[in-house]
Amino acid sequence: MSTVATQALGQTGTAVASTSTALQGPTKRKKGYWGYTAVLFVITAVALVPIGVTVWEAFTPQVSSTSHATLTWANFSYVFSQTGVFTWLRNSGIVAVTTMLLAICVACPAGYVLSRARSKAINGYALLLFIGQSFPVIVSAIPLFILFSKVNLDDNLIGVAIVYVCSSISVATWMMAAYIDTIPVSLEESGWIDGCSLFGGFMRIVLRNCLPGILSTAIFSFLIAWNDFLIAVVFLRSDSNFTLPLGLETFFAENTTQWGYVMALSVIVMIPPVIIFSFLHKYFSIGGISGALGGH
Amino acid sequence: MAVAAPSRIKALNRARRGVGLGGSGGVGRSDPPQRQRRISAHRRWTMGLMVLPSVLMVVIIYAYPLFFSGSLSVHNGTLLNTGSFIGLDNFSAIFSQSAFWQAANFTLIYTVVGVFGSWAVGLGLAILLRHKVHAKNVFKALLLLPWVVPVVVSATSWQWLVSTPGSLLPSVARDLGLGNLYVLTNPALAKTVVCVYKVWLSFPFMMLMMSGALAAVEEDVYEAARVDGATAWQQFKGVTLPLILRPTYISWVLMFIFCIGDFQSIYLLTGGGPIGASTTLVVLSYQTVFGDFQTGQGVAIGLIVALISVVVAVFLFQRIKRSRIYL
Repeated sequence: MSTVATQALGQTGTAVASTSTALQGPTKRKKGYWGYTAVLFVITAVALVPIGVTVWEAFTPQVSSTSHATLTWANFSYVFSQTGVFTWLRNSGIVAVTTMLLAICVACPAGYVLSRARSKAINGYALLLFIGQSFPVIVSAIPLFILFSKVNLDDNLIGVAIVYVCSSISVATWMMAAYIDTIPVSLEESGWIDGCSLFGGFMRIVLRNCLPGILSTAIFSFLIAWNDFLIAVVFLRSDSNFTLPLGLETFFAENTTQWGYVMALSVIVMIPPVIIFSFLHKYFSIGGISGALGGH
Repeated sequence: MAVAAPSRIKALNRARRGVGLGGSGGVGRSDPPQRQRRISAHRRWTMGLMVLPSVLMVVIIYAYPLFFSGSLSVHNGTLLNTGSFIGLDNFSAIFSQSAFWQAANFTLIYTVVGVFGSWAVGLGLAILLRHKVHAKNVFKALLLLPWVVPVVVSATSWQWLVSTPGSLLPSVARDLGLGNLYVLTNPALAKTVVCVYKVWLSFPFMMLMMSGALAAVEEDVYEAARVDGATAWQQFKGVTLPLILRPTYISWVLMFIFCIGDFQSIYLLTGGGPIGASTTLVVLSYQTVFGDFQTGQGVAIGLIVALISVVVAVFLFQRIKRSRIYL
């Protein structure tokens, strides 16, 4: 914007600066407009190179293949016909959706209490959530694996989903609390006066007004589950329970890596999160958690 | 933003809390004291029940494993049986290994670069996105992609980019006359690539956090600074930075947690290699348990990381909560 003009004219005194800025305003502003866009375009283009090459390679024929077409679906048709991609997709879907639903059910009431209540116990709870979040997942993964194998929840999609819910619960609760902070208490108060209980007010008034917050939480927990590799590799052993990330790793186990197939499956793995974000990114806000965490 | 006196802060905080549920205001104010107490007890129970599921989850995933890990780390067992009690031998064995100190060293580098690198990039982009830009929402969405795309996918594509002879980085290096670059077999280069990759992965998160912080800063403040003749850098240093200090600290703490506990982005990109150069403590812990089958030692390494992470994070968190920086 007009910072450049001000910068140059800064020394000549405030009055002059402001008048000349006003005079030069429109042209300067328009130039800045395109300038910033260009800078942003270059940065975005560079940042997206690794994703771009994945897509490009997925459509590039294998070196060994005889056809010389520049782009091809061959890699995808191989992946769909020769590998367990449908099983992996189904498993990833089950795990991610279960995680998402459970996380919402747990995080909504917890976020509500975190947002509204003020007491020593709640402060302790907030600290507990924070300590939990700062615990590396690997430290809990090994004992949980031993525990789950005793109750036959290891190598089980629901067991894995439970671990994901647990590991996303802190951030999910903060996100809900951050959103509920923006809903005025007076809304519930009028409900209480009309005879609503605390829980009733939460269910009927608060939840109805915090759909964007719920969406954010849902997206976050879905991504945690869909993108994870560590928990899956520790817990899941049988092929029929593999999720997509584990499926992708099996492609590397062979002697020579067929990059075309790897990239084709990579594209399949990233399509759901990318679609979700391209439609819902407006609702996704994580900035509020710094308020929920350190605010008040 | 202003650094105010503690008493004022307290008053401010109390005012912000407004009519808290368990607190003073609102519903039962005119009720007789006894009834009021009953209501608030009832409310307390309701709230307790509402938090209960998440408390249970925290206990399942953190408290139980913590105790179990503690017990594993003082035994010489495997994943299947506990073995016999050996005291702190696992810890002394770890501390005498050079691999541990190498990993600790790289963990430090990785965390520092991850936190401040991604913060710098994220803040820069957040500031850029505050300006009037064409197709702003498209850029915002596209810039989130590195964070949204699964790590398995992006690690694969980075691996391909930097190490396949026919791909981008090796061919650029060849054109520049650097000869054949074997990025993932050269320790220094592998470390660099892992750090850059982490920055690439995390800058969208920082961008979101910083955009949220900047949204609370009003344009008028800049107008005022500009009228006073502040340069762009002075505006950044004197106006923007103090105003977003608190969210910045919090995002640093969060990113510290994410970096120090990070397993998959390193493991999937380099596997910790070459010769352990890019191994962090968490990766070393995984390898010790599942590669060398030294469960006790591996868990002990994990516990050390957890201890560092929790202590540093909680210390910083409490400092921030009590700090006198206010938006």
